[in-house]
Amino acid sequence: MIRDRLGNLLYQLAALLLSFGVVSLILISVDASPWEAFRNMFAGSFGSLRKFAEVLVAFVPLLLVTAGLLVTFSAGLWNIGVEGQVVLGAIATTWVYRFFLDSNLPPALIIALAILGGMIGGALWGSLAGLLKVFGGVNEIFGGLGLNFVATALTIYLIFGPWKRPGVASMSGTVPFPDEFSLPLVENLRISPWALGIALVGIVIVYFLLQGTYFGLRLKAVGKNFRAAYLLGIPTWQYSMYSFLICGALAGAAGAMQVAAVYHRLIPSISSGYGYLGLLVAMLINYQALWAVPVALFFAALNIGSIQLPILMKLDSSLSGVLQGVLVLFVLLASGMQQKFARRS
Amino acid sequence: MNVELKNIHKHFGNVHANKGINLSIPSGSIQGILGENGAGKSTLMKILSGFIQADPGGEIILDGKPVVIHSPADAIHVGIGMLHQDPLDFPPMRALDNFLLGQSGGLFPNRNAVARDFRRLAEQFDFSLDPDSYVDSLTVGERQQLEIIRLLWLGARVLILDEPTTGISASQKSKLFVTLKKLAGQGMTVIFVSHKLEDVEHLCDKVAVLRAGELVGEAKPPYTTSKLVEMMFGKVITLGARQPAQGGNAVLSLENVSLEDVRLKIRNADLEVRAGEVIGLAGMEGSGQGLFIRACAGLVRPVGGRIILNGRDMTGKSYHAFKRAGVNFLPAARLEEGLIPGLSLTDHFILAEEPDGLFIDRAIGQRLAEERIKSFNIRGAPHTPVESLSGGNQQRAELALLQDPLSLVLLEHPTRGLDIESVIYIWGKLKERCRSSTAIIFISSDLEEILQYSDRVLVFFSGKVSRPLDAGKTSVDQLGQLIGGKNWADMGEAYD
Amino acid sequence: MRKNLIRLAFLAVALTLVVAACAPATTQAPTQPPAPAATQPPAPTQPPADTEAPPPAEPFVFGMLLVGPYNDNGWSQAHYEAGLYVEEKLGAKMIYLDKVNPADRAGTTPDQLAEELVAQGAKLVIFNSDDMKDASTTFAKNHPDVFVIMASGDQVWKDGKVYEEIPNLINIMGRMEYGKMIGGCAAALSTQTGKIGYLGPLINDETRRLAASAYLGAKHCWEQAGNDPAALEFKVTWIGFWFHIPGFTTDPVDVSKDFYSTGFDVVISGIDNPVNLSEAQKYTAEGTPSLGIAYDYVAACDAAPDVCLGVPYFNWGPDYVKAIKSAQDGTWQSQFIWSGPDWADINNHDTSMIGFVKGNALSDEASAALDNFIAELAGGLNLWTGPINLQDGTPYLADGEVATDQQVWYLPQLLEGMEGLSASE
Repeated sequence: MIRDRLGNLLYQLAALLLSFGVVSLILISVDASPWEAFRNMFAGSFGSLRKFAEVLVAFVPLLLVTAGLLVTFSAGLWNIGVEGQVVLGAIATTWVYRFFLDSNLPPALIIALAILGGMIGGALWGSLAGLLKVFGGVNEIFGGLGLNFVATALTIYLIFGPWKRPGVASMSGTVPFPDEFSLPLVENLRISPWALGIALVGIVIVYFLLQGTYFGLRLKAVGKNFRAAYLLGIPTWQYSMYSFLICGALAGAAGAMQVAAVYHRLIPSISSGYGYLGLLVAMLINYQALWAVPVALFFAALNIGSIQLPILMKLDSSLSGVLQGVLVLFVLLASGMQQKFARRS
Repeated sequence: MNVELKNIHKHFGNVHANKGINLSIPSGSIQGILGENGAGKSTLMKILSGFIQADPGGEIILDGKPVVIHSPADAIHVGIGMLHQDPLDFPPMRALDNFLLGQSGGLFPNRNAVARDFRRLAEQFDFSLDPDSYVDSLTVGERQQLEIIRLLWLGARVLILDEPTTGISASQKSKLFVTLKKLAGQGMTVIFVSHKLEDVEHLCDKVAVLRAGELVGEAKPPYTTSKLVEMMFGKVITLGARQPAQGGNAVLSLENVSLEDVRLKIRNADLEVRAGEVIGLAGMEGSGQGLFIRACAGLVRPVGGRIILNGRDMTGKSYHAFKRAGVNFLPAARLEEGLIPGLSLTDHFILAEEPDGLFIDRAIGQRLAEERIKSFNIRGAPHTPVESLSGGNQQRAELALLQDPLSLVLLEHPTRGLDIESVIYIWGKLKERCRSSTAIIFISSDLEEILQYSDRVLVFFSGKVSRPLDAGKTSVDQLGQLIGGKNWADMGEAYD
Repeated sequence: MRKNLIRLAFLAVALTLVVAACAPATTQAPTQPPAPAATQPPAPTQPPADTEAPPPAEPFVFGMLLVGPYNDNGWSQAHYEAGLYVEEKLGAKMIYLDKVNPADRAGTTPDQLAEELVAQGAKLVIFNSDDMKDASTTFAKNHPDVFVIMASGDQVWKDGKVYEEIPNLINIMGRMEYGKMIGGCAAALSTQTGKIGYLGPLINDETRRLAASAYLGAKHCWEQAGNDPAALEFKVTWIGFWFHIPGFTTDPVDVSKDFYSTGFDVVISGIDNPVNLSEAQKYTAEGTPSLGIAYDYVAACDAAPDVCLGVPYFNWGPDYVKAIKSAQDGTWQSQFIWSGPDWADINNHDTSMIGFVKGNALSDEASAALDNFIAELAGGLNLWTGPINLQDGTPYLADGEVATDQQVWYLPQLLEGMEGLSASE
């Protein structure tokens, strides 16, 4: 058993090294120093408190999305629509804020309502993918992709239509909300401890939901064998729907954070691709909630650190995306190889 | 071809699955390999056919020459072909394409020539196989026939059959036996792996018995059944005595029920099942019994008639409604429908308990699992994932999932592929249920089992349902005739 | 559980190793933030204070945030090349970050990215897109010691609708209205059918006023040439965004095809990518003579030179030089700059903000008439003179009334005589 764990570790380590190796080769092929690139990325994400705070800003929505995806993955569903659920969370949050723009309610209450609204918005959008799957027989991957498109179109429509700025509708988004609608930030930094707290609470809840509750066990049963779960008496399609609702709510919370703590308005690309990035993280951690925190942090750090590449080295920042993608591929490959050798011996 | 195995060992982790097996099989004979589940039969055969490798030190010798077999392809190259318990085929393709897949070399196969070979081989053994039919439309027996001629066509001179009589009809079985004898007559070496004494006694020129990984002895005809059983189990075992039916209240009534699926229709079936009664459903696979038992579970909605459960009309209700009303269904495909691969025994027991509350009480789950594992004699630990249990233990685990109390248990092939000890054990458990007034309806392709354990028997033949026959007053012979579609004249009446 | 813990522990060890390995390097790296001293906010008219004053020989470093790729053959490239021009003229050094948008840089905001540029030594930051308007405001307010140029915005326009006092910020925009008028005129001089199409991006004040300007230029030259005013048709079709997003915008290729196949033989592009040119080329090859006008970037006609009538383009360099110079020499003044062409030579790279390059497809005759029109504009002709009615018939400018800058900048509708939507539905 101990040997198995050690072996597992070695495989993961090999995958990590290989990924860095591949990216290094790419860098060498364009006459750039890999060491310098990695050093710049590291310094750009952990080099100062301010930079680390930026990493956390990206980490919050990524962690929430990953937490949500763990739930749908457990139910055996590929919720590609998570990207749109983030968007709808942001839209719903913006809607609540706009609704209370002139009210006398305490701002704290409005912020809470807005975040709650975002979660509901995301959950409803998630349930659409679920309904398509359960009653329409539409695979959640295709349904989700379609809904993502609709969500983006809806955002742009709102920004250039009903919610446009007075005078000039702008790609810059809707009119920024007053400062008191912002989740409180740490002084001189852009990170909100509240947002960080909500994200951590989200992953902890998902961890316990999946590890410690009957609900989680049933969800896993549905994910691993839909037919047998039904025969065991589990209301299977309802559980599929629950998983979409939960994932949608968490993704919606991510969208709410984007509005309430980062952009303070609705902007056209409000989801920032966190839905898709979250899918990569969820694949990489192989559905283990405990790993979501370090891996999401690592991915967020890559995103932020890679900003240094074009500034300092005239390299494209998408290198971090390459590294993330290659890493996922190698880790999947490594676990495949490991299983193959395990069967042999 | 002469086959010799020398000093074959195989370890799986701490499990010593084969312990120094030496066996010599002469060309042109049918060698039986007998043993209960987990005795090491399958391991040994997988080593011979290249699916796994033996530990270093052993030897496989064919016609005096040692050979090294690393893969099924190597095996077929040296002339060894294996028929698996679940024939490894590729369902959504035509029989001929399936045939072509194993062919080595040649980018563009000559379909016409291969189709000619196909027909010639099928004719030679009197198989009525159409090369253009789709594999998924074939019965288990037909798939087996397809696999036999495919292996022969690929040049197999040693044919290994793993539990080949499971899941095929009586007539297919007798045809199989004729074929195997013919092949042996042609100099082919046949290795017949089974736990069914009757089949082995009937067919084999020589029998080797495995127990707990060891070859405990060999026997030649005439065989003494009790001696073989003793070799298999290390002790003497007798079947339980038949129990008379109990006259309880009606648990389930089918009134004029009509059922349909894409392949067949059942018209106007009637049945009344009383508490504590056991009803056996006999018939060739796909004759309607599967549809029938699923209708009794609420998994198939009748197109006509009524289904009454304990006095309540349940027509059109879902399986979960049936389940709440005290009906449990155990499907035949254990890992596909019955159990959830990836979850442990404990997880299964917790799920089946349908507990309330939010957080899992691991202590209770553990206790529950230990209790069930003990009382159902499951060889596994609470944390064992179900897919790593052997077939018999999976079946016991499924039984252990049955809720208590129940008014009706529906079982598909409850003992298929299990050794006799497990069969006896499982029926012991089921009969216990009957004594507490649970009724049982089960499907089996083993007519002996049906007669042994049922009170009444329904026979199915392409959608026709016989009237309930008193198991005490019918015989394997009569059932066999009915299954084959003969003598249905006096079975008619309401059953059209 | 334990497996997870072990993996977690491993990651922690690995991270520690990386930190240890990188630690000495990071201290050497030139990443010490200049620590914008909030305690001693310097007057905006003075050069930004730096706690570690650089050696005197060090060049002035300015940063630029580009919304698209620096080599997009359009808007962002025009800015990037202006930056190179500044480097050349002032001996300054540019650091830039392109693709500054939330889709390409997930989780970042332009103000945060501007801070990265400051961390690398930038004393002035240029935000090049309308998208970054709010971020530029936020950044400028948080960093009173850094100079900010916000291109295309109007937040420090005293007479504008959204004026805010931000001493360290300058707005710069070009009067592309003139470029569009010249383009519209070229279209009117070249059309055989009297039907001109306008391929519009999304609908806002800026895009409305540019489409309207193209219309005014076309109308003027059409009538000057002695044609029947009623015979001119000018139709705007909006695709919904600056470029094609499948599934969301209308495909500009389809829009161009619709135009060319229904008798609109000249299409003026208002979007980032002049797809109308390639369609014009196809239709011409198939026997329907079709022409197009490109936008934004000086070399945009190269895509299909034989059907291109010309391209109105931005030349940001001269204004950037002026603004950056003022930051260097202490004459910086927060203001809204809306520069027109240098009428002495609209294509003078050193002086003219707006230029127009003629294309091969422009006939000699039309070319002469166009020169004539440009000369008229240079001579004081203002097409934004009444009577002009809005599309719904509301009078906008009375007879003889000249539009104010505000009336042009914040044009509420298309004009009477133009077909197409004035606002998104």
